[in-house]
Amino acid sequence: MTPLLLLLLLLPQQNDGRLAEHVPAAALPGVHAIITRAAQDSLPTEPLVEKALEGGAKGASPEMIVTAVGAEEARLRNARDLLRRAGAPGPYGTRELQSVSLALARGLPDRIVAEVVGSVKDTTPGFALHAVADLTAHGFGADSSAALIVAALGSGLSGQRLLDVAAAADRELQRGSTRPQALARVRSILPAVPSQPLPPGAMQGATRPKRSP
Amino acid sequence: MIHDLDPRIHGALDGELDRAALTPDERALVERLDAAARALSGTPVVPGLSRRVMGIIRRPLASPVARFRRWLTSPQPVTLSLRPVYSLVIVALAVVLWRGPVPAPMLGAHEGVAQFVARFPEAHSVAVVGAFNDWRPEATPLADDDHDGVWDARVILPAGQHEYMFVVDGERWVSDPLAGRYVDDGFGRQNAVLVVRPVRSE
Amino acid sequence: MTAGGGPSDAEAIAQVLAGDVEAFGVLITRYENGLLRFATRMLGSRDAAADAVAEGLVRAYRHLATCRDPARFRTWVYRIVANRCKSHLARRPIGDVSLDDVPPVAAPEDAGEGLERSEQLERLERALARLAPEKREAFVLKHLDGMSYEEMSVVTGARIPTLKMRVHRAREALLAALKESP
Repeated sequence: MTPLLLLLLLLPQQNDGRLAEHVPAAALPGVHAIITRAAQDSLPTEPLVEKALEGGAKGASPEMIVTAVGAEEARLRNARDLLRRAGAPGPYGTRELQSVSLALARGLPDRIVAEVVGSVKDTTPGFALHAVADLTAHGFGADSSAALIVAALGSGLSGQRLLDVAAAADRELQRGSTRPQALARVRSILPAVPSQPLPPGAMQGATRPKRSP
Repeated sequence: MIHDLDPRIHGALDGELDRAALTPDERALVERLDAAARALSGTPVVPGLSRRVMGIIRRPLASPVARFRRWLTSPQPVTLSLRPVYSLVIVALAVVLWRGPVPAPMLGAHEGVAQFVARFPEAHSVAVVGAFNDWRPEATPLADDDHDGVWDARVILPAGQHEYMFVVDGERWVSDPLAGRYVDDGFGRQNAVLVVRPVRSE
Repeated sequence: MTAGGGPSDAEAIAQVLAGDVEAFGVLITRYENGLLRFATRMLGSRDAAADAVAEGLVRAYRHLATCRDPARFRTWVYRIVANRCKSHLARRPIGDVSLDDVPPVAAPEDAGEGLERSEQLERLERALARLAPEKREAFVLKHLDGMSYEEMSVVTGARIPTLKMRVHRAREALLAALKESP
């Protein structure tokens, strides 16, 4: 119990500076309550702080900010439940929960997310989920999109290469294939979809973003 | 300590009052300001400015790369051939072709480079905001060095997903029209979603 | 023809719009010194000023067809450069060194007289740099560029009473700077 108490004491204070400075005061009690509850349930709190900061920066009303932070917490909780049901090995990192949460927010049905998560064995599901969501954004059906990515995983592709798979399907569409043709064509060339590495020199001039103190 | 000057002095300096009508003390102040203006009137020498400007305007307006970049970033119907989802890399290539060499930063194993590009011809400033900079518009400005209305910035970010928006002129929040991926932000707007690829393959 | 020889602004503009790119060179030569001096005072740096003026002149060339009154090219191009300067100032990161810390603008070269840098000039330059940008802009346009308040209104977009107030406050600040003991 003591470590949890310590956590409860520490957490609001760590974020107090950023939240107090950038979030309307009227929203703080509600936001803090949600963050405390999330911490108690071992859910990540940084995404909740970020959502509150986002609302503050966008000039949202205190009510809207509290609602949005609560919705974010609910999505993270839902994501964790989904991962558990899909049998993904825990513990689940913040990024993993966020990628599932975002895939759901991008419109992928629960069962599709669960299917993809179940097929990703060694890495986190983020790239796979985004590849499926990218395909659906281009008008491919959720089931056939998931099937293509699962097939790609089976052929040994993983991580960012899955984004190449989605891009390849889209290129086939541009060349005039129907959607079923495009999916079939890409599936037939797995795992040899063209990759898109960053060109040499593309990093020149890149800088790191400044965060709040 | 700044003292208010007699309005007659201002009037004389503005050409609204005859200097002959001033008292000697007032005229002395007027002359001091005239002298100050003369002292400050030295012109800095910048040799080659004319040559630099003429060199730019003599060039054909759009190099093939600039034309490509302009095509990529001007509003297109969704059905056009190049999809935004992977235009990221191609824009990075285009940027590389006209920027001079600049030292490349060291990236961690799970970091990548996000290329933000947007077309805002009348803007005075454009910034990108997201969780990576706590949604603060002052943190990550884009640049439009050749003033063709196309703004860009390259930012090192952890590999993976990032929600973001552009802020134009410090006050107008805009979803990136080229993003191809969007999600409701919970505040009545849509965030664009970027998936940053790690620079080193896994 | 102008008194100093060469085409008038309106004539040069007509030539450029008819396709003679080189005619723009006349306008550059005619206005670059004034624009550079203005931009240097606004930005506190000769290099930044050169960039702002070059950008402004290129933009003026590209938008020359929109210069509604070629006879008032001067105020039109000043307006463009004034906006470039505002853009440069807006882009400076918060927490950048304040103008108080910037070394005074390089002494104007005057090959003929070998003008020496005086302590008074330094004090004036610092006082000018310390002014809020809109007051500095108003003082420079009025006293260094010799513009009328009507012309300044076109360049800045501000109303004449506002501009007068800015110029008056700027004058007072500079006089106060001259009175300060070293």
